[in-house]
Parts: sequence; C-alpha cells; structure tokens
Amino acid sequence: MNAHIRNEGDWVGASVNRKEDRRLTTGQGQYFADKKIPGTLHLVFVRSQQAHARIVSINTDAARALKGVVAVVTGADIRTQIKGLPQPVVVPSFAANYPDFWPLAVDKVKFHGEPVAAVIARDRYVAEDAAALVEIVYDPLPVVTDMEAALAEGAPIVHDGWASNEMFAMNYTGGGTPESEAAHARKVDEALAAAAVVIRRRFRVHRCGVTPLEPRGAMATWDDDGLTAWITTQRPHIDRLALSDVLEIPSDKVRVIAPRDQGGAFGVKAPFYREPILVCHMARVLGRPVRWLETREEHLMSVSQERDQIHNIEIGADASGRIVALRDNAIADNGDGCEGVYWGFVMPFFGAAVLTNAYDIPLCDIRIRVACTNKAVLSPARSFGAFAARFALDRAIDLLARELKIDPADVRRRNLIAELPYTTATGVHHDSGDYAKVFDHLTTLVDLKGFRAEQARSRAEGRHIGIGFSVGAELSGVSSAVLVSMENQPGFGAATVRVDPRGKVQVFEGDAPQGQGHETSMAQVVAQEFGIHPADVSLTTGDTGTTPFGSGTIGARGGSYTVSAVANACRALKSKMATVLLHDLKVEGVPSDVSFRDGRVFLTADPTQGKNFAALAERIVMAPLGLPAGMQAGLDQTEFFEADVPMLTFGAHAAIVEVDPETGIFKILRYVASDDFGTVINPIVVAGQVHGGVVQGLSNTMFEEFVYDENGQQLTATLENYKIANAADMINIESHHEAGSACPHTPLGSRGLGEGIPGPVPAALTNAVCDALAPFGIEVNRLPLRPNTIWRLLQDKAASKG
Amino acid sequence: MKRAITITVNGQEHEEMVENRLLLVDFLRDVINLTGTHVGCSFEGVCGACTVHLDGVPVKSCLMLAVQADGRSITTVEGLAKNGVLSILQQSFTEHHALQCGYCTSGILMNATEFLQSNPSPSEDEIRASLIGNICRCTGYVHIVAAIKTAAQRLAATRLEVAK
Repeated sequence: MNAHIRNEGDWVGASVNRKEDRRLTTGQGQYFADKKIPGTLHLVFVRSQQAHARIVSINTDAARALKGVVAVVTGADIRTQIKGLPQPVVVPSFAANYPDFWPLAVDKVKFHGEPVAAVIARDRYVAEDAAALVEIVYDPLPVVTDMEAALAEGAPIVHDGWASNEMFAMNYTGGGTPESEAAHARKVDEALAAAAVVIRRRFRVHRCGVTPLEPRGAMATWDDDGLTAWITTQRPHIDRLALSDVLEIPSDKVRVIAPRDQGGAFGVKAPFYREPILVCHMARVLGRPVRWLETREEHLMSVSQERDQIHNIEIGADASGRIVALRDNAIADNGDGCEGVYWGFVMPFFGAAVLTNAYDIPLCDIRIRVACTNKAVLSPARSFGAFAARFALDRAIDLLARELKIDPADVRRRNLIAELPYTTATGVHHDSGDYAKVFDHLTTLVDLKGFRAEQARSRAEGRHIGIGFSVGAELSGVSSAVLVSMENQPGFGAATVRVDPRGKVQVFEGDAPQGQGHETSMAQVVAQEFGIHPADVSLTTGDTGTTPFGSGTIGARGGSYTVSAVANACRALKSKMATVLLHDLKVEGVPSDVSFRDGRVFLTADPTQGKNFAALAERIVMAPLGLPAGMQAGLDQTEFFEADVPMLTFGAHAAIVEVDPETGIFKILRYVASDDFGTVINPIVVAGQVHGGVVQGLSNTMFEEFVYDENGQQLTATLENYKIANAADMINIESHHEAGSACPHTPLGSRGLGEGIPGPVPAALTNAVCDALAPFGIEVNRLPLRPNTIWRLLQDKAASKG
Repeated sequence: MKRAITITVNGQEHEEMVENRLLLVDFLRDVINLTGTHVGCSFEGVCGACTVHLDGVPVKSCLMLAVQADGRSITTVEGLAKNGVLSILQQSFTEHHALQCGYCTSGILMNATEFLQSNPSPSEDEIRASLIGNICRCTGYVHIVAAIKTAAQRLAATRLEVAK
C-alpha cells in the first residue's frame, strides 16, 4: 500500500483526529493520580541525604507517634520479609555483576536520593510531616562520582564485597578469546596506521534524560483475589511476573494495571523499580490500599537520568573519506546500578552496539566498560543508550570531513550503507530501504548547494551561519532474537481482536502506551482491514487481567510489532467471516474472493451478494448453526507477531544555525528531518513524534543536565534547576517521510518510530555550530552545547593563536 | 487548623472545611474531585500543568492555598466545554494533534484561553512567548503553536460574525 495515496474509505495513511483527544482536552483523562480508592493510605519515602554512607541508626519513634501515621518501615524491617533483587525475569542474559538490593537501603546508602525508610499514613500531608521526623544517623564514606575515577585502582567501592566498580564490560568485535581479541586489535591498528587520515578524539556526553511530565506512582490493594497494582509502567506484564517473584505471590494472584492514560514515559517507566515493590508489599502487610505518588523532586533525584558516556574514538579513512577502520573505547557511568530489567548498563551496552548503525564500517574494534558510581542508576531514555554514541560518531565524521576538506554531507553519504540487508561489525541487522535516497532528500530539502553559497555571502558580511548533518538507524520494535538476550524477554507484538455481534470491534493490547495514540492508530488499521469506521473500534491496554502477554511499549514496537499483530488478527477473522459468507451463499470460492468495505462483506465479483459486517458477525457469534464443517464459533483472535528479521528505521537530520562569535549565542534557523517510516498509518501522529523527539534531543543537547557536586549531592532536583526547553526556546521542526518506502517485513509495510528520534540531534546541532564557526577552527566534542562553552572555546582558540 | 471556605468552581459553589495548608490544586483534585488539573513539578510553578483561572486570570494552582481562593471564582479545564461542545481552542487542539500524552494540555488550554482574550491576533513569537510557563514534553510545541494560531483566526471570524 502506498502511504501517500488515499482512496475513499482508506484509513491507513489518513491524518485522523485522535480518539483520545476529546477526553484529554476536557480534563476527563484517567491518569494514575486520578484513580482513587476510599480508605487508601499514602506512602512517602525518606530518601538519603548522603551519597555514600553507612546507616548507623534510624530512629522512627517520633514519626510513628504522629497522629495519622499507620506504619514506618526501614530496610532492616523488610529485608527478611521479601526477596530482594536480582530476580531472573528482570535480569538480562549477560554476564555482569548484579548488585543485591531491596526497595529500601540495607546497611548503607549509595546515592543521594536512595530510599531509606517509608512512612505510611492516612494522607499525604501527614505522611510528609512524619517523614521529616525520621532521624537517620549516617557514617559518611568516600564518594565517587566520576566514571573514570571509579574504574581506577584504589577507588571507593560502591557495592560491598565487589573487587572493583566495574559492573559490565564487553568487547563487541574481538571474537571472545584473549588471543582473538589481541589479533583483531592488531588488525585494526594496522588499518588505522595505513589510513590516509586518522581522527582520534574523546567525546563526552553529559547526564540527562527524558523526564516525562507525569511522575511515577504505584497503588496496590490486597484481598482474596491477591494483589492488584496500578503502576505507571510501560511493561505491566513484566511487572506482574517480577512482583510475583519478589513478593513470593503466585503469579495468578497478581494483576497489574497500567493506567489507560499515562503522562509520557519515553523509556523512564519501563524498568522494574524499587518503589512499587514496597507499595505492594505494604498493601499486603497492612491489608489496606496503599498509594505512592512520586514528587518531581524524587523523580529528578532517582530516575530519568541517562546518557553519561565517554567515547574514545579513532577512525581511519582513505583520501576520499571512505572509513577503513574504527575503534571505540567507551565508558559509561551507571550510578548504583540498582534497577530491574536494565541495571543501568543495558543502555550504554546498546549504545556501543549500535555505534556504527547506518554506516558501512566493516572493520571495528569496539569495547565498553560500565562503572558503578555514587549516583542514581541510569534509567532508559528515548534514543536508548544511542544518544551519546551517535553524537560521538557523527561528530567524528564531520571532523574527518574537515580534515579532508570535503563537505561533511559527502563524506557521510559515501559511508552510508549502500546495499541492504547489512549486518554491522557488532551484529546489528539492517533490513531494507534506501538510506542514500532518504539522505539525498534531506540535502535537497535544505538546498545544500544554495546554502553553501549563502554561507559564503554571509561570512563576507560577518554573519556566521552553518549546517550540520547526522543520521540514525534506530529501533523499529525489538525482535525476540535481540530482546531475549538483551532483556530476557520476548519481542513479539501481541494483540487480541474481538468482533462483537453488533459489528463493533474490541482490541486488547498488553503493552501500555503513554501518549503515542495507539487508540487511534490501531483503530485506523482495524477499520481499514474490516471496511468499517474507526469510531466502531475500541482499544484496551495495560491490564494483565484482560490483555494478551506483551513485553511492553518500548523500542518503537507500536508501529512495527503490535500493529502487525492487530493486522494479522483482523486478517484471520476476515478469512473466517469470508468463509462463512461463501458457505451461507453456497458459492464456491476462497476467502480472497470476498471484500470488506463500507460496512459490508460481499463477493468482489458480485457486490450485490453479501451481508452487512455487523449482521455477519451476529450470525457467526450469536447463531453459530450450520457453520462450515469443523469451524468453531466466535470471532476472537489473538496473534503474536514476530518479524522474519530484526528491523530498523532510518532517518537523517539537518540543523541550520547562526552563531554570534562574540558571545557564543546561537540561534537554530531550521531543523529538518527526512525519515523512512515505511507505510505511515497516521501522518499527523507521525509528525508529532518527530517534533517531540527532536525537541527532546535539542533540550538534552542545549539545556538539560543532572549535576552532582564533589560530595555526590544532586543539585538539579527541581525543574527550576533542571531546565527543559519551552516553546520560546524552540522553532518549528520540519518532518518529512516521503522518501521512505513500504517495509517488506510487516503486513502493512509500517515501521516503528519515535524511540530513536532524538539520537541524531546532538551531532546535527553541534556540527552546525562548528560549521558556522569553521573560520575560527573550534571543535565542540562534549555536551551540553551552550553559549558559554562555545565562547570559552573561542577565547581559548584566540589565546592559543596569541 | 481547619477553615470553612466557599469557592465557586466552573459556576458551581463549593462549601468545604479545609486545612489551612491545603494547596488549591489538592482542593480541586482531592476535595471536589476535578482531576483534570494536573501536577507535574514539586509545587514550584515551573511546569504549568496545574494552571486554572482565578476570577478569569490564569494562576498556578500549586502555588496557592485553597483558603486564599475563599470567595473567589475558579474555572478549570472541565469548565471550558459548554453543554458538551468543545471550545474553539479545545477543538483546534484536537484537529492539530496538539497533544500526545495530554498531561500538560489542561494547563496549556487554560493559559492559552486567557491569552487569546488579551491578545486576539498574536504572532507566532507572541504565542511561543505566552507558553513559557508551560512545559510540554511530547509535542515539541509545533502543533500547539499551530492550534493556538488557528483558534485565534476562528475566534476572530466568530467575533466578526457577532459584530455583523
């Protein structure tokens, strides 16, 4: 199906207004905090004020004595009551050091903000009063907040009993034995030595993340049915299994419900965190509903922190700019590493694995070391692990181009993967598409030739404008082949489609969207398949009691895997309905002889012979007499979609900026994205994903930064200090997908998108600033990119020229 | 310490005994159960999700106590649609896909509703400047700006109709 040509009744490809938006614009959304159960107790965490310290004593007497307080618990209380982590369902299939931890600190605290105790009271105000009365005596320990210092000999050890702070290390390309790794490294050394030009640089990307506007929360009840938990989560089915294991409750007695409306997540709500464990445990202990509603301060202290990587990169190229070899020694700062599913290190692991995505660089030596420090654990953020890696590589390519005096766009294009499918040196499968075409479309959109002429004119007038490019080949869902090793979970997309006797369609999805518009996109697909209206389709998500098992709304699975399961389920039901129609009409034929259109099911060859969609559904469900031999009644279908190969989504970005070299202040003049999204289901929704993803990337690059002082005190735990881009900081982002083509691996030709959008942003913007300032010869190789850092580099350059 | 207060919300009078320290946003959400007003920051007034109108003026309801609103009139996002018909701005938001998760939307609608009254034909820069008290994490603001622009044009057309 061509995404850009639409016929009457074609819902796939139409900018349908979202079904969600009436309730969300009238204040009728049902977010986590809106769900209330009478008699609910409120839990408030007491969090560590120290970054690294022994817990000498905790005095809870004053807190307990406060009127309205029901319970106060500490790590010492709960460590014997529940199992700690790790538990297998939330541990990836990688060799790593996995720290033991409980929902509350046991013996010592490891970062500023770690939960140490919890107060449960009749309301939140009282619980907060009591939390302030909990007295904790600490014996401070030496603090380590720098990843390289943490890996050095003699560093303070974050986790008791560990020989070093190294949590995870990997050599992606060496063959797995010391001998093969040494031989491979020599090969890369030789290629670099023989290269016409070699770029060696250190790239540093700061700690920042995606910070959804709705914080986290958990509420639990305990009764004869067991545990029911409402959790702000992207993975309700995984949370259910993990809670069952940690709390030792049979899984059939655990139901997890992700609220229908979630206020953004972008990865942050995907891990299995400590706080919901304690909420569920306390609901069981107290036999009353217990709720925890995260404050923004808690959120910024303990989650939403990602990136934080160093890439030491060497790339060698021939005189034309064709890269012949690459080496990356990457390091990541994992914080304390205590978090189910990801353990912090899975993001930098993945970032280094996808370092060369989209580029044809067969000879690579790529390694990573991940350190624990006295900071909050890394939690996933859109452009999962890849944000820092993409910055490093796409900056390095610009530096290479500058060295060779070739336009960076040409060097970039020369190194793009030309023939697909392709597997990178780290084993990442690139499935299909035409990357060069999508990139060329971008250079046309920005009129690169015209821009260069304008740039020359502007420079003559003393104005400094610049253009920067970057690319990405990002997740389009995550296949089981990848996800089982990475997260010990299946990657399939799952959906149940039910046609009811009135011709209305219910769809059940085990994932848990957070603003992506699944209710609308899935309805469009169902409407397209059955020839009905999207208004006649409803979607239920996130409830483990009613939906098929799915690993969660992660990695751009919606538009790739989940929607494919929906389409396949519809097709199976259509085949059944068509078979019954042919049988009832006593017509010889096959299901493909039957059309579904305009609310009717009919013979394509003779449209007068047919039935209303609703009437045929009623006949099959309510009057299952005289069905074809062997056919069961009912119109429910569950499908599990697994693509034949892992898929990626390619995109290319360009930023155009003007920089004032006197101050370092820069202005973004244009930001353009050209992507291959395959068949687009809803263009306006897709554009929204691109706009939002790019602005998150820009905000990360320019504004956001988690700052820890030398004592490990987190200084950015409010939105006053953790600055997020507002409307006046930004411009209109331009999104284009017309250079794309249908994906051959999904039933609709669609690809997943959204997850990886921020990835190319930091390099595109930084390349643009450096291009604008090319006459000054400065290099920006660390983020954040701010006027003061640009100004400082300009000053240093001027000083060195003396 | 509790106090009796009377607050009119979306035209309906509410008499309640509340703690002096109860925040206005908690009064709206927890006492009278209007949960369309959201909380996204630590009561620091940065995110704007809790914006409501106090006697017609946008305020951040996390920065006020309920007792400070005694005797005053409040409009929340639940009060924008009339008889089930979306306001021109709400309608424009749905048509432009100006929201994704919707969490910031209530506050932005309240802020922009008043903004379009005080500045009926704003430039794009003015629209963007008017939004600095609201954080949206999903949309990148592009569609929000477009929706407000369209609403301004439609409101102008409506005023022209009325004038005729």
